Amino acid sequence: MLFDQGIDIPEALSGDALNIALEPEKARFNVRVKSKDVAAFKKASGFKFPVKIGATAKTGTQLISKFGPDEWVISDDAKSREKIAKKLSKLAGQFVMSATDISHRNIAFNVSGRLANEAVNIGCPLDLSLKSFPVGKATRTIFENAPIQLYRSGEDTFQIECWRSFAPYMVDFWTAFSRDIA
Amino acid sequence: MTKFRRPGHGNVDVSKTLNFSFDGKSYQGVQGDTLASALLANGVHLMGRSFKYHRPRGVVGAGSEEPNALVAVDRGQGRITPNVRATSLELYDGLKANSQNRWPNLKTDIGAFNNTFSMFFPAGFYNKTFKWPASFWDKVYEPFIRNMAGLGPAPEHPDPDNYASTYGHCETLIVGAGPSGIAAALSAARNGGRVILCDENPELGGSLLSTPGVQIEGKFALDWLAKSLEKLRKTENVRVMSRTTAIGYFHDNFVALAERLTDHIPGVEIGPAREKLHRIRAGKVILAQGAIERPLVFNGNDRPGVMLASSAQTYLGKYGVAVGNEVAVFTSHDSAYEAAFNLSDSNIRIPAIVDIREDIRTDLKEQAEQRGIDLFLGSAVSKTKGKHRIKSIEVFYPNTGSKQMIGCDALIMSGGWTPSLHLWSHSKGGIKWDADLAAYIPDQANENCVSVGACNGDFGVAAALNAGTKAGGGRKKFNTNEFDFGTGISLDTLPNYIDTSKQKAFVDFQNDVTEKDIKLAVREGFKSIEHVKRYTTNGMATDQGKTSNLNALQIAAKAVDQPVEKVGLTTFRPPYTPTTFGAVAGYRNDQLFEVTRKTPIDPWAEAQKVVFEPVGIWRRAWYFPKKGEDMHQAVARECKATRESLGIFDASTLGKIEVVGPDAAKFMNLMYTNPWNALKTGSCRYGLMLREDGYIYDDGVVGRLAEDRFHVTTTTGGAPRVYRHMEDYLQTEFTELDVWLTSTTEQWAVIALNGPNARKLIEPFVEGIDLSRENFPHMAFREGKICGVPTRLFRVSFSGELGFEINIPAHYGRAVWEMLFEAGQQYDITPYGTETMHVLRAEKGFIIVGQDTDGTVTPFDAGMPWAVSKKKKDFVGKRSLARPDLVAEGRKQLVGLLTEDPNVVLEEGAQIVADPDQPIPMDMIGHVTSSYWSEALGRSIAMALVKDGVNLTDTDVYIPMPGQTHTARITAPVFYDPKGERLNVV
Repeated sequence: MLFDQGIDIPEALSGDALNIALEPEKARFNVRVKSKDVAAFKKASGFKFPVKIGATAKTGTQLISKFGPDEWVISDDAKSREKIAKKLSKLAGQFVMSATDISHRNIAFNVSGRLANEAVNIGCPLDLSLKSFPVGKATRTIFENAPIQLYRSGEDTFQIECWRSFAPYMVDFWTAFSRDIA
Repeated sequence: MTKFRRPGHGNVDVSKTLNFSFDGKSYQGVQGDTLASALLANGVHLMGRSFKYHRPRGVVGAGSEEPNALVAVDRGQGRITPNVRATSLELYDGLKANSQNRWPNLKTDIGAFNNTFSMFFPAGFYNKTFKWPASFWDKVYEPFIRNMAGLGPAPEHPDPDNYASTYGHCETLIVGAGPSGIAAALSAARNGGRVILCDENPELGGSLLSTPGVQIEGKFALDWLAKSLEKLRKTENVRVMSRTTAIGYFHDNFVALAERLTDHIPGVEIGPAREKLHRIRAGKVILAQGAIERPLVFNGNDRPGVMLASSAQTYLGKYGVAVGNEVAVFTSHDSAYEAAFNLSDSNIRIPAIVDIREDIRTDLKEQAEQRGIDLFLGSAVSKTKGKHRIKSIEVFYPNTGSKQMIGCDALIMSGGWTPSLHLWSHSKGGIKWDADLAAYIPDQANENCVSVGACNGDFGVAAALNAGTKAGGGRKKFNTNEFDFGTGISLDTLPNYIDTSKQKAFVDFQNDVTEKDIKLAVREGFKSIEHVKRYTTNGMATDQGKTSNLNALQIAAKAVDQPVEKVGLTTFRPPYTPTTFGAVAGYRNDQLFEVTRKTPIDPWAEAQKVVFEPVGIWRRAWYFPKKGEDMHQAVARECKATRESLGIFDASTLGKIEVVGPDAAKFMNLMYTNPWNALKTGSCRYGLMLREDGYIYDDGVVGRLAEDRFHVTTTTGGAPRVYRHMEDYLQTEFTELDVWLTSTTEQWAVIALNGPNARKLIEPFVEGIDLSRENFPHMAFREGKICGVPTRLFRVSFSGELGFEINIPAHYGRAVWEMLFEAGQQYDITPYGTETMHVLRAEKGFIIVGQDTDGTVTPFDAGMPWAVSKKKKDFVGKRSLARPDLVAEGRKQLVGLLTEDPNVVLEEGAQIVADPDQPIPMDMIGHVTSSYWSEALGRSIAMALVKDGVNLTDTDVYIPMPGQTHTARITAPVFYDPKGERLNVV
């Protein structure tokens, strides 16, 4: 009841060709580990940290994305927040690392449908062909003036996360786009 | 059927009649017409007035190069588009277009007096004439020039249409769908990569549409075209885009395409996008833009009815329109003969072909003879006659000096061809002079780009098809039965017996630049073509000199007696053709122009009818007026309530950075002036950040969560730059440190509570934190729960009162705020905005970085030596603080100001002087940085940066303002509760 992302998705964005939905509350942690420690860290933690920048690993509800040379983001169901926090705090005793709770920093949109690619490309300059941006890839990028994280969960399904205060801008953009797809 | 329509010719649908109006008069055209072709079909050549002399002008071209036939299209309120080329304007039923730059009407134009007195309006006339006396500029010259300037009507209402924009990618982008572009697309498509083929016209085909008689591989041009386009449209990896202009070519094969979606549809409602901007990143770009025919520069070449030979061919071949009944030809190039023969074969009489050359190809002579056309070789047109339409030409034979008048109702001309280098030049491709073509052609590419067909100097259909195929990766060679494109000559000045100074030989039709203007510019000392361009305005009109640049260049080159290639070429800049602002903006209109960041508590404030103010790209609550209150009253009430009981403030926009790692304290020691080693876990401290130059960059309260973890806050506007500044040092200077930064600005909503009742309010909601005075003192920092959600609770105060800053996860922010606000009613809790926050802090003398500092203020200037550690060996800015100029006497220092009249609130930014009687210019010793009415003190207060300010304490300074000079006394900058007792009042 207390939880409020402060955003409404207009009806026009809930079609078959394009469906944009808000993701529910999530647990998110920004984790930094030195490259030389990653193998040991993975062994000790059981976290499936991907090796390549832009790669992701999905285990059940948990998605781990690698965004930088020493930077991963773990995202999961909201109810796993404390469990992950405890685990990370324990690991912090063993490794030189940083883990920061950013669960409420972002708002996540699920963008799906035949026009999903176009709904991303109206603001994001990346090449979204499956060859350049395969299913499972995640990256930090921009959507016009908003910094975003882009994750492709399916051929026609993307998850876009942005900082909370940028979310209305994103929705306004898609609302303008919806005029042209009627 | 209109008079000049030729049934059986053209690719238009004569069964579909369209009604339209031009200058209020009704006409009929057919489906597939442009406004220009429809008017020509009705025998109308006069379509506009020139910019400077208001000379009557007819259509010259048949495409986007058109300099003369500019019209304004009226689609209703706010939807008037000026300067549309009639040659590119698709006709639709109900089209309303008006000519421009004339009053009261196109045939009778008062402005044409400029023409009568044109000898007084040479190049540079405005520069020379409107110079003296200077006082005339505002009242006389500028209004006069403004009145005369401009072509079409400027819009008076906001544009109600919507626009779209997107990004796209392809392996091959082909610009121009003439024979070379289509051939390139066909062969590139076979390689499997994504292909985009775009063309500015509604119909693809380029020159093939103008020459339907040509056969390609034994098929008529239109059949070959239809088949090829069908094939391309069926190929999955090919996207064919008509009505799409490549307006600019930027770095790394980034090309902007403007697609016109609805302008050709009659009565289209406002809703779906009118235009769409495609920002395309291409692996390879194939430019197939074609070439533009060059006019001849001769006396009387701007009379309506004088046009390019290829345009006449296009009007016949593409639109089935004869440009006249008696069409004379004037040329220096073989290609005009094809136009002449096409026209002749459609029963248009050709009374004469006047060719500058003494000798021409035998086959041309024979074909002319077969058609009964009189040839005038080694001759030139020396004069044209006719008021609003050409009636006759005078042919001059320089060898004997003989002259002859020949009647005609149109004159078509060809001075050769100019390959279109526009996009090639945008991409910074090199160019070289081709003496045979007398034109520049592409040389070395700067991007992965190739130019094919006429824009590369490969003239002729077969040459274009072959070059296009090769560029697309194929090897096929095409056979055609085309007319041999041939050659021509290019002369800077055409033979005439009339003195040059008496001739009206136009180079740039739109800007009315004549041959003699260019020669005058050179005589007056402008030797560079870039200077000649600016002095004469040649090539500076909306057509950007598409038909005039090379003629101007040749005339200038001759005048400076240099080869053309030494004189250079003016720069092509985007956009290729005039583009609407809407297309450039795309979706980014209104609220999408820039992000407006809103806090989790913003919707609550909005519901309270708060007044917002922008802070960076955030919008923040400024003040909460009650009914009937102005800002002053609201702020006074908010200040009073906070000092007396309880105020609540949304501080969520504060920047937050979590600094984590074993070397976190070491890093903090380097980034801030303060010492951090001794700061205990569970405490916080004010931090001051300098740039390398020793000046204040940012500040904020920093809490220590653990040995290896700091919660750093920054100013609202400074958050991104502080993060970048830290990351920059971490990655380049302090790489040995094991510490990481994570922005947590938006992880936490922040509610600031200030006032004697602050503790009482939160006590019942807080779990796991002992809030007592002893165990939670000022500048303490704890983690626990509030209202059932996790909190990082700071005991800090930016008001001087007992204060708390409650950090809660952002998505709970609004709920916690509402719970506290509800419970706070017993203390008359008062929401306040940034204005009250500013007043309360100024009463305490707390600085705001960026308001009381301006990037040239050191901690010592700001009176904050206590914030600078003397023991630390190093921190960013430390060495600069010892710079001689930063330790010298006479620096501006932050002080308080109390006005002699307590009711005077000084203006922020006002200059301060020591001697009010000094004559102007006075010595300014400083300026006011912050100034407010203080309700708590019942008087005004101000802060100021004043030279040697601290030493001037208790002396009077003066603030001269319009009509009055204020007197103020310099004080210490703490006005309220200097001992800080109120922090612990309860």
